[in-house]
Amino acid sequence: MNKELEHSFVELLEKHQNIVHKVCRLYTNNYDAHNDLFQEITIQLWKAYPKFRGDAKFSTWMYRVGLNTAITLYRKSKRTINTQDYAGVEFKIKAEDYDDTEEEQLKVLYKAVHQLNDIEKALVFLYLEDKDYREISETLGISEVNARVKMNRIKNKLRTILNP
Amino acid sequence: MDELELLKKDWNKGDTAYPKLSYDDIYKMIVKKSSSIVKWIFIISLLEFAFWIGLSFILKGTSYSDKMEELNIDHILIPITIISYGILIYFFYLFYKNYRSISVTDSSKALMESIIKTRKTVKYYVIFNLATLVIGASIGAFYSFNHNPDFSNNLELATANGEVFKFYAVIIMVTLLILALAIGVLLLFYWLIYGILLKRLNRNYKELKKLEV
Repeated sequence: MNKELEHSFVELLEKHQNIVHKVCRLYTNNYDAHNDLFQEITIQLWKAYPKFRGDAKFSTWMYRVGLNTAITLYRKSKRTINTQDYAGVEFKIKAEDYDDTEEEQLKVLYKAVHQLNDIEKALVFLYLEDKDYREISETLGISEVNARVKMNRIKNKLRTILNP
Repeated sequence: MDELELLKKDWNKGDTAYPKLSYDDIYKMIVKKSSSIVKWIFIISLLEFAFWIGLSFILKGTSYSDKMEELNIDHILIPITIISYGILIYFFYLFYKNYRSISVTDSSKALMESIIKTRKTVKYYVIFNLATLVIGASIGAFYSFNHNPDFSNNLELATANGEVFKFYAVIIMVTLLILALAIGVLLLFYWLIYGILLKRLNRNYKELKKLEV
């Protein structure tokens, strides 16, 4: 029974692991921290899995657990060593889409997003994942209006960083 | 173009850029132990409960409790003991209930609130114990003023020398100083532990609350 549960969980997570990677990408700055957070989110997902009823989509449920772990439960591990900043190293734009100004802009944008606080990052994350304001507000526990207002402020903030 | 739209385009394009963990990699992860703050709060809280229970047991075997027995105040002590254990059980019940209600699948705000609530239960228990300590010390001091023969001898001596005021002042100052020191050390300890442990949570909770204004 337990084995079955383990199997179904690992299989689902393997399929949807990019969601967790994306959360880690926003909230960490290097490989060690990325792996550490990935590990903690996986444990939290697994602990909560028996209560997952399937009435929500697995991915939606993952957004919630992933973000909650990142902004509330996670303690930064001490063993994080300052390795190189991977924003510019690992996630390069494919060659065919290469556009000097656009790439430059994206680089600055990712950097700017990294400067946002944890809650702002959560909003940006859900926005980038194409979630509507209802889902954003439900995930974070704020009202829809406030989510909208905050999102506009974040956009302005990013715009200022990008075009000083 | 909207800056975030530009980012979104790239965000969803980069799906292949992430490390791909295998079934086995993930399987290995789920047997590892969590190091989340909830686990730490639970452990520290249990230690706090254990500390105060331990303290009352340690005090039982000392000359202090012998002296209390000499005073023949069982009719006061027994009800106090029963009440204090009742209060402990009540606090523990609240703590456990709050701890159980922490759910990672709640909304972020609800999750933070349930963690803070769990923490507060233990905090109130500690405050309750500190208050009991202060009241207990005051009653103890009062009793020795009136019943301790050593004390009355010294008092007579001080009266003969005309230093009654100084005598009382010194005793009260010393008692207050020891209490303040003990409370100070405890508070520093809490500030250090929870300041570090809950820094992120508190900051993010404030940020969420700020959005509601």
